[in-house]
Amino acid sequence: MNKSLIIIGVLVLLVGGFIWSTYNSLISANESINSQWAQVETQYQRRFDLIPNLVESVKGIMSQEEKIFSDLAEARANYSGANSSNQKAEAATQIESSLSRLLVIMENYPELKSGENVQTLMVQLEGTENRISTERKRYNDAVQIFNTKIKRFPSNIIAKQLGFSDKAYFEAESGAETSPKVDLKN
Amino acid sequence: MISRLTKIFAILTIILFSSSVSAYHNPDQASGFVNDFAGLLSVEQKTVLENKLSSFEKETSNEISIAIIKSLDGDTIENFATELFLDWGIGKDKKDNGVLLLVAKDDREMRIEVGYGMEGALTDAQSYQIINRTLKPAFQKNNYFEGLNEAIDQIISATKGEYTVVGNTDLKSLNLSYDSLAWIALLALVWLSSILGRSKSWWLGGFIGAILGVGLSLIKGFLYFGLVSIAVLIPFGLLFDYIVSKQYKKGKSSGHLPWWIGGGNGRGGFGGFGGGMSGGGGSSGKW
Repeated sequence: MNKSLIIIGVLVLLVGGFIWSTYNSLISANESINSQWAQVETQYQRRFDLIPNLVESVKGIMSQEEKIFSDLAEARANYSGANSSNQKAEAATQIESSLSRLLVIMENYPELKSGENVQTLMVQLEGTENRISTERKRYNDAVQIFNTKIKRFPSNIIAKQLGFSDKAYFEAESGAETSPKVDLKN
Repeated sequence: MISRLTKIFAILTIILFSSSVSAYHNPDQASGFVNDFAGLLSVEQKTVLENKLSSFEKETSNEISIAIIKSLDGDTIENFATELFLDWGIGKDKKDNGVLLLVAKDDREMRIEVGYGMEGALTDAQSYQIINRTLKPAFQKNNYFEGLNEAIDQIISATKGEYTVVGNTDLKSLNLSYDSLAWIALLALVWLSSILGRSKSWWLGGFIGAILGVGLSLIKGFLYFGLVSIAVLIPFGLLFDYIVSKQYKKGKSSGHLPWWIGGGNGRGGFGGFGGGMSGGGGSSGKW
């Protein structure tokens, strides 16, 4: 009688401890995804702030390229209007494609080369894009850790019971239109 | 200018279309602030730079590292620099006050990668100028040392005011990595060996094992782990005590004491970087 009580007690402790530690590790993995996403957004913001300066300094010379500037302005407006992380990621993709179009067009204007101002902005933009790519890669790494955790036995059982689900990676495949889906709920 | 456009375009394309493809390989562990894996510098030149960087670190705690590799093996210099920065952990933990000057000899590319904590002091534009006005012209004339030396001076003057050393507070933040924990465990083991070996008791090891087990269960926050560790550590401690005591006796009688019994053998010089991080800040160029 007494013995079986002890055995049951120990079992409860073991199972409880396992659930406890799994839950905690899932929570911290999830939290590191969130903080990494914040890093990505910081860099998005940096790019966002850089664009008006860039536009300002090239607009004079590239005055006939109205379309690209209005595209950029629209993409920026979308980004500042975005509420969810999903919308933000989507708008950021839109900014990316207009930016790269702007850069292609800029190649046709060698006179931009002389401007010190434009050159500094280019350096800043390059640094920002590189930061974005770094932080996004780290975001993906954080997602990978989390996703592996909730898929592996035996933590997958607990993850399922507690309602944890897969996080999406940042990967816009071939068509850039497929916006990366980022879900920061939970 | 045009090449810069192309570069940004390339990065944008990477961001847009794929998760990055990386061919990064760690060249080796850092053996100092200056790591020349491509043999560009003579021993004297390396020493000059090493001394400069090491005294700068003592003065300000900022860690500036030079890495010269042979080839990027198809990786981009940006990715390589960020990964290497992370691997070596340049800069102090939490402060992230490190700077990496990476040179890829065969690719004729260089990059200044700036740690998170230094991005305000050494901006992308400044890095760009150091690369294009100092490194590039010098490297084109094969004056590698002169270029690096001057670039280091410029980086030092840009980052001088950013941090100062506040005593020996490296251990203040007790957020230890597993790596350093492993080292501490190893040191503790050596230390324990030396004490337990000399002590006449046979039970002390088991006792210490029990204490360790209880401590671990408190840290890990759960009985499950604690019970297991107590159950494992007591016999382990006893066995450990038994073995080292026996070894010590044997050594004493033969006159050759085992290596772990001796005092500290302080290894001077480079003790590794502090565990800082970077996030892709800085600038790159070609020569």
